[in-house]
Amino acid sequence: MTKTFAALLAVATGAVLLAGSAAAQGSIRLTGAGATFPYPIYSKWMLEYHTQHPNVEINYQSIGSGGGIRQFTDHTVDFGASDGPMTDVQIQAVNGNVLHIPTVLGADVPTYNIPGVTQQLRFTGDVLAGIFLGQITKWNDSRITGINPGIPLPDQDIVVVHRSDGSGTTYIWTDYLTKVSPDWAQRVGKGTSVNWPVGLGGQGNPGVASTVKQTPGAIGYVELIYAVQNHIDYGLVRNKAGNYIQASLESATRAAAGAVATLDPNTDFRISITDPDGAQAYPIASFTWLLIPKEMSDATKARTLLEFVWWATHDGQQYNEGLSYARLPEPVVRLEEQRLKSVTVNGKPVLPANYGRGQRGR
Amino acid sequence: MRGRTARRLVGSAMTGVTYGAAALAILPLAAILGMLILKGAGSVDWNFFTKSAVPVGEPGGGFAHAIVGTLIIVGLACAVGVPIGVATGIFLAEFGGGRFGFTIRFVADVLNGVPSIVIGIFAWTWLVKPMGHFSALAGGCALAVILVPILARTTEEMVRLVPNSLREAALALGYPRWRTSLQVVARTAGAGIVTGCLVAVARVAGETAPLLFTALGNEFFSTRLLGPMAALPLQVYVYAVGPYDEWHRQAWAGALVLIVLVLALSLVARAVVRAKRQHA
Repeated sequence: MTKTFAALLAVATGAVLLAGSAAAQGSIRLTGAGATFPYPIYSKWMLEYHTQHPNVEINYQSIGSGGGIRQFTDHTVDFGASDGPMTDVQIQAVNGNVLHIPTVLGADVPTYNIPGVTQQLRFTGDVLAGIFLGQITKWNDSRITGINPGIPLPDQDIVVVHRSDGSGTTYIWTDYLTKVSPDWAQRVGKGTSVNWPVGLGGQGNPGVASTVKQTPGAIGYVELIYAVQNHIDYGLVRNKAGNYIQASLESATRAAAGAVATLDPNTDFRISITDPDGAQAYPIASFTWLLIPKEMSDATKARTLLEFVWWATHDGQQYNEGLSYARLPEPVVRLEEQRLKSVTVNGKPVLPANYGRGQRGR
Repeated sequence: MRGRTARRLVGSAMTGVTYGAAALAILPLAAILGMLILKGAGSVDWNFFTKSAVPVGEPGGGFAHAIVGTLIIVGLACAVGVPIGVATGIFLAEFGGGRFGFTIRFVADVLNGVPSIVIGIFAWTWLVKPMGHFSALAGGCALAVILVPILARTTEEMVRLVPNSLREAALALGYPRWRTSLQVVARTAGAGIVTGCLVAVARVAGETAPLLFTALGNEFFSTRLLGPMAALPLQVYVYAVGPYDEWHRQAWAGALVLIVLVLALSLVARAVVRAKRQHA
């Protein structure tokens, strides 16, 4: 017995010692955590960046937007990430030492399952709010048939499906409904999880999608990227300009461009781009943000982080389409450049004023 | 005569029912294993064990970083938890009759029932936050906290099974009390204790929640104990909820490897017991 035991211990200690000594030297390692939605593209960027800069390992883990803000506030990570901007109270908690850097765009789409209906349905903000408030209960309600002429909608009860977990997807969806429906704004409001007046809960995008698939008469919302990658059909949504828009990477980028046109050059980027201006803009889209400190203490880490974020918002954007993420509009990238150059270590700017000149279009 | 036939009938019917119940109990395991093999076996290849994560859309990625991470973190948990757990168990069985022993037993049982996410948050508060970064070490300690009470209670049960006559014989030969406990009693209970260790390790190897806020996970192959480290359950979770088919396939494969690892540990535990029995 003692021998077996000793052997077990020896193996364990051996593994530990080996592990300690095998650590690679000279690498710069950064850790970040937060939002789940951009995880695939961040992971792609960081692995690509590592192949181009073998001494840089940037590790990002998806623990949720709330977790990202929390860990950023507690300084257990070098940077955070969130699908919803930090609130004023949260920013006070870090003494204002945070920059919101938009990285990619996401969009929410309505997905439904109506037996016998294969055509693409049209929705308006009013109709979506009515359905999710439980005021529109049948698929053949005149408010739905009125905007979908020629589609034979059945006398079927509508089953609402929403997220059961806290989620950036829910934030975007309820942010949109809050803007377009005063009734929704007053009774439910926006947030990563809200008090749903009606409906079933599903865990994550897969949970909502599979519940909709299995429930005749169901309607839910999922992330555009999830719908595209998993070949889920979704409806058109009418935008502010009155056009019915199919969610796509392009129409999401247009949404950002529409919202940014009226942006203050000194914006902190904590802006909502749902229900934007623009004839071809999709109305239920949002930025997702990296959270980085304005003032850092470690010069090497600061320089590495800023160079990576610069790369991600420029060269890195070429990987977006392949993974079904929408690109940042050019004007936003220009504003972000100024913001990145404002980051300091001990009060001195980290990036030189001419950083990035001549690198563009590489 | 009639009474006998009836009895025989009831007897076989009851035997049938117990067989049925046993089959029902095995069914979930068989179903899980079958599903994992069906969905995951196709993606388990050489790359899966030798390569780390690659960017989405590129072929040839693997789980090497997660497999090694799990081995290191579980190894750490053993290094910290096994001595404490086994020693506590021996103490409880040999000297734990009084109020102190009762308290320890009670605390161990309560700790056994604490949800593992709470232990993760505990480790985050006491290790991650003061250190200022996530680490494999914190993950190992979190798992050790789960491991200790399980191990303490199983060790206690095993040591209790040792017949008193053995203790008396050792004491009669002039062995002091501590030597009797360590060299005679613990040794006799050895196979049982090793089984307890392996079962406890199998139990913690699949834990995800306590690692979320301690080891965090890592995209890169890392063996640094003071940095974030990947682990099988974490990687499976992240890939399973992701949007890409390729990730889903890898998540199935990761789950398969994890359950095979746990099954193998349980089988080794059985083998150890059998070998010891035949030896004795």
